[in-house]
Amino acid sequence: MIPRPPTARIWRELKSAWAITKKDARIYYLRPGIIMFGVLFPLFLFLSFAIGRNLSADVLVPGLMAISVFFAASSIGPMAVPTERKTKTYERMVTAPVSPLSILFGEIAGGAIFGAIIATIPLVIGIAIYGTRIANPVGLIGALILISFAFSAMGIMFAAIPTDNPGDVMMILNFIRLPLLFVSGIFIPVSAMGVYGVVALASPLTYAKDIIQYALTGAGYYGPFIDTLGMVLFSGIFLWIGVYLHERNRRAG
Amino acid sequence: MKAISVDNLTRDYGTFRAVDHISFDVEPGEFFGFLGPNGAGKTTTIRMLTGLSEPTEGTALIMGYDIARDTYHAKEHFGVVPEVSNIYEDLSAWNNLMFAGELYGLSYTKRTARAREILDIFDLAEFRDKKVHGFSKGMRRKLTLGMALIHEPDILFLDEPTSGLDVESSLLLKEILSRMNREGTTIFLTTHTLEEANTLCNRIAIIVKGRIAAVDAPENLKKTIQTTQSVEVSLDSMTPRVTEDLAAIKTVTSSRHEGNKLRLFTPYPGDVATAVFAYAGEHHLKILSINTVGPSLEDAFLSIVQKQRNHRTGEMP
Repeated sequence: MIPRPPTARIWRELKSAWAITKKDARIYYLRPGIIMFGVLFPLFLFLSFAIGRNLSADVLVPGLMAISVFFAASSIGPMAVPTERKTKTYERMVTAPVSPLSILFGEIAGGAIFGAIIATIPLVIGIAIYGTRIANPVGLIGALILISFAFSAMGIMFAAIPTDNPGDVMMILNFIRLPLLFVSGIFIPVSAMGVYGVVALASPLTYAKDIIQYALTGAGYYGPFIDTLGMVLFSGIFLWIGVYLHERNRRAG
Repeated sequence: MKAISVDNLTRDYGTFRAVDHISFDVEPGEFFGFLGPNGAGKTTTIRMLTGLSEPTEGTALIMGYDIARDTYHAKEHFGVVPEVSNIYEDLSAWNNLMFAGELYGLSYTKRTARAREILDIFDLAEFRDKKVHGFSKGMRRKLTLGMALIHEPDILFLDEPTSGLDVESSLLLKEILSRMNREGTTIFLTTHTLEEANTLCNRIAIIVKGRIAAVDAPENLKKTIQTTQSVEVSLDSMTPRVTEDLAAIKTVTSSRHEGNKLRLFTPYPGDVATAVFAYAGEHHLKILSINTVGPSLEDAFLSIVQKQRNHRTGEMP
């Protein structure tokens, strides 16, 4: 057999990962569990806090966008992976000549694209109703790609919990997502949190909300450099732990 | 080069040893059966051979590639049909095949051509755009097999492929497998159906309690228990008394009911047949059928499994 150049292998891995992404989009985007936990739940949660507080559009739109990406992107993996463990379709991918990293990249991209699509809904509403302007459109696109990737990787990391019931993963995920939501400066600005503001640094959602705010208004609390660094760091951590746990599950058989 | 070469493959789950230093080879183009009672280690072995889990010890080479170290190249050479039809219920038959083709890196032209061919072979062409959740069990099985064949693999791993299928679907599937094997595909089959193994396989390995008890052609396995011959008899009245009398014929070592027939095991089938005729005449019974039967694969399997179990029980402290 003639050995293939490494670029051919990488290209093939990318195509396989893209096939997994397309499959996730076809199967999971419109699942009731995804619409409920990934879209409606965060929307109503946000509205219950925002209505009656006279928040400006500069605060409302970035907050709602950040929450939308956070919940939507992190829901696809925890729905897809346990479901596919149950139907044994996950094994189909594992027995194919596709690296574990490519499988996870495919799944992550599936969540990331969904998160980015959902995030455009509050943006469009903001533009149409509140006249929201985008100070840095390129920065916003870059931020949305980075944020949705990070949160989708977070979902994939939780999807490594060895169960074939998506509800089990969603329950644990919400146990983590909700506290993160409250410390991320979305409902109470970090500047108003006093010494407790330091807790916000431990939440990826803090940087997500801040960078979106920066891209929309031109002003953020931490600034784009720290926000980007924070998101890259969290993406790396989620991805590394996710790959490690999924691979450990496979080895355990 | 062997299609599959297994050397000292071992798998532990904690303190439990599911597969214990098994070794065997499968030649290219061979139809190889892997049999064993429940919990013997069949599924654990097939999971290690297909990269779904890693061996604790030992190696498995697929077309010369180590499945644990050179996983990518090893996986290019095989397709897998697990016991459960692992297809996407929310996708159409066509989209399932397209997805499988993309996973194996087939170009658009190649995968669409293969998908059309597979849908025709498996008689699924008219259902190509239908979602799978409306498919019968037989159709799902055929689609699962089709997805495993999309990249024209050298080796096909099949775990209980006909389990739960009706007779017609089962026959069709076996016919397709035989044809593929004749065309050169190496087939590794695990099954509980000994008749299936007997008719399809060139060689059979029997695994008991994680160890290989025998590897040979079905006919050779039967020869290992050549002493187990029998007379199969059916009378117009098979009352418990008649059964008891027949089982008591001199030289009958044991007996077993098989439907409306009684099978009398003996080293001297001729003598027993004569005694059955005499008994029937004496008691005015009509003989519906009488045959002398050599050992079946089932007999060989049971004998080997029992011997291995006794052997291993003897090892226990």
